[in-house]
Amino acid sequence: MLGFRIRATGSQGTELSDSFFSTINCTFPRHAFNMALKGEFDFIDGLVLFNSCDHIRRVYDHWIRQMETPFVKILSLPKKAEQAQVEWFREELAILRDDMQNHFGVQITDEKLRQAIKLHNETRRLMRQLYELRKADNPPITGAQTLAITVASTAMPPERFNQLMKELLNDLGNAEGITDYQARLMILGRELDNPGYLQVIEDQGALVVADSLCFGSRILWKDVDESIDDPLAALAQYQIAERPSCARMFSEYDKRADYVRQMLSDFNVDGTIYSRMAFCEVWGFEEYSMINDFKEWDKPLLCLDREYTLSGVGQLRTRIQAFLETMGK
Amino acid sequence: MDDKKERSISRIREELETYESIIPLLELEPGEMGHLQLPILKNITEQHRKTLECVENGLPFMASQYTNPVEILTAMDVHWYFHIQQLFAGSGTGGGPHIAEDLEEADKLNIPRDCCTLIRLGQYLQVAGLYPLPTAYLALTIPCDSIAGWHAAFMHHQDWRNIPVFAPDAPYHNDDRAIGYYAQQMREMVEFITEHTGKTMDIDHLREVVEETNKCYALWMEYNEIRRSSPTPHSYILPMSCFFQINTSGAGVPGKRVWYEDMIADAEMRVKENKPEVPGQKIRAFWYDIQPFYFGEIASWMEQEWGAVIAMDMVSYCPYDLIDTSTEDSLFRGLAKRAFQDGPMIHQARGLADNVIHDIQRIVKDYKIDCVIFPGHMGHKDMAASSSLMREVCRELGVPFLYLGLDVADYRYMTIDEIKDKISQFFTAMGLG
Repeated sequence: MLGFRIRATGSQGTELSDSFFSTINCTFPRHAFNMALKGEFDFIDGLVLFNSCDHIRRVYDHWIRQMETPFVKILSLPKKAEQAQVEWFREELAILRDDMQNHFGVQITDEKLRQAIKLHNETRRLMRQLYELRKADNPPITGAQTLAITVASTAMPPERFNQLMKELLNDLGNAEGITDYQARLMILGRELDNPGYLQVIEDQGALVVADSLCFGSRILWKDVDESIDDPLAALAQYQIAERPSCARMFSEYDKRADYVRQMLSDFNVDGTIYSRMAFCEVWGFEEYSMINDFKEWDKPLLCLDREYTLSGVGQLRTRIQAFLETMGK
Repeated sequence: MDDKKERSISRIREELETYESIIPLLELEPGEMGHLQLPILKNITEQHRKTLECVENGLPFMASQYTNPVEILTAMDVHWYFHIQQLFAGSGTGGGPHIAEDLEEADKLNIPRDCCTLIRLGQYLQVAGLYPLPTAYLALTIPCDSIAGWHAAFMHHQDWRNIPVFAPDAPYHNDDRAIGYYAQQMREMVEFITEHTGKTMDIDHLREVVEETNKCYALWMEYNEIRRSSPTPHSYILPMSCFFQINTSGAGVPGKRVWYEDMIADAEMRVKENKPEVPGQKIRAFWYDIQPFYFGEIASWMEQEWGAVIAMDMVSYCPYDLIDTSTEDSLFRGLAKRAFQDGPMIHQARGLADNVIHDIQRIVKDYKIDCVIFPGHMGHKDMAASSSLMREVCRELGVPFLYLGLDVADYRYMTIDEIKDKISQFFTAMGLG
């Protein structure tokens, strides 16, 4: 089976999904569901969703009523990261495995899961090697290019992706680094899968060298523990307690702040852009805490709201230029 | 008491003084509804006095969130206040004296304006030092993103950073496994309370408390049955107080039960004698969201101008199950189910949108509803994403549906005049009234 993470790349509008969502809903599910209604996800055989946020969880409610996808499940993703939640989520995964086996007529054995974990851990390790190169004074790759690669990792067969990544890392090892930039930036936020957004930022003279994004470092910074005998337990441990968390996770703010601060230091970041999707509440309140912490750390921070699709480019350019100027870059 | 402590209870004192001045007047001149209104005011003042006593004397007390089981706290003899209720205390309800200033100050915080104003106000009250600092805090991860998102900001504040906090993690499903999981969280909550207050749980006492609140819930449901009558017996204030009455201090106290019994008796009398509190009723509306701070102005205007009554609303319609008190396990499972599935907003917004559809189907039929008004508070993003389902089910039922899109806390977002205008246009266009 090939996993494909739902995006809305190439979406031009929300003309169909506007009947189902409100104007105070995030544009990511609105664009993604619009594409679904237009039949652009008809190639999938099944869909697994989570109660990740108030906007996305309603996609499930509309999908099961409007679409004919034969296998649609919603998993209950805890908001806390303690042992009880790891165990709960392990059970969720076990139920999903049973349902998938019954529906698709496949065998998802522990051994197959272990192999898959190993394979995806290799993807993560290769991606981290790419991030390592970005720590250099003259990184060989831009932020926009890195984002494009990360997005590809969520849609390609992993074996093929890993092969291409090895070739890329080999090439980059001999490449000349980028020297003509004025400032090293980090970007924080949620669903950002459009390299064009980072391209606009980098066109103003910045270089995005680090991130905490869900199409970014948060999905590759840690490995699933291969030493845990039960692969479902290992996956649950990774998803709930190990990987850098989304702002939706309760009581995990201090860890998220430490993660960001470590990145600022490791990647020698000059300034940070907090990129929130409009109407996102969890990242909205996170923004408040981050602003206070960045002040305390005496680090420059620029907060930018955005829509899922690239828009307001002129304003974005101006804000970035002004930000670089305020940093003396 | 130092200035900081004094400030933390200043809003509570203010509301207490206001109600203490109203109570003797109401006792003197109760009018038609005074006997039902007085217990509500006395309940609030009693709760405030206990909070003040705890703060002034350094006694242990908790801050909690509105669907954490009050039965557990009562049975453990621990006082609490709902910190979200502080938004209403001396500031909000009915356009209180501080709301304009609070909204302006909340706007100055670095929280995006499209985030829930109710929660932004909550954050402002913390920054302004207007929450009494509790011994420990029982938080909540549901029903919406803003509650969860707020928590990080809230607990990051220097005054609250070291206050012990416990939040039960609510599952998204409703099945037996989910109830068992949340019941275990309830048990952990008990352990947490013991750890930080030294108070222990006596299961027999918990049983007594739950048996008493069961009676209140049963009476509340009976009262809701009477509300099916047309004309509806009462205006909006008393029905909307049903949740508050059962869920604030004094849970399990027989006096609470008397209030529900009196409500029923009064409603029955009004139905029998055809003497509704609101005369000339022409439109029966279902208000499907929480009530705005300024609801008194809207609802009274609807009654007087259009003869439109709130025959049912989201807060007072939650299909509660009575709790099986036979074993310790059934007690915790019952409390768990009520806490993460049944309470207002939780019932509608936590899980799948199915409840939204079922609620409307059932209420429209049972309460002979003429129109469904979805206020659509700007903070309720999940409900906004369910509005098409509401509209569809209303269309199937042949009942008009209005989506307002207001802000329950901020009358500047959609002004009261705009709201009245939209409602008037809706009633006119639909040929109601």
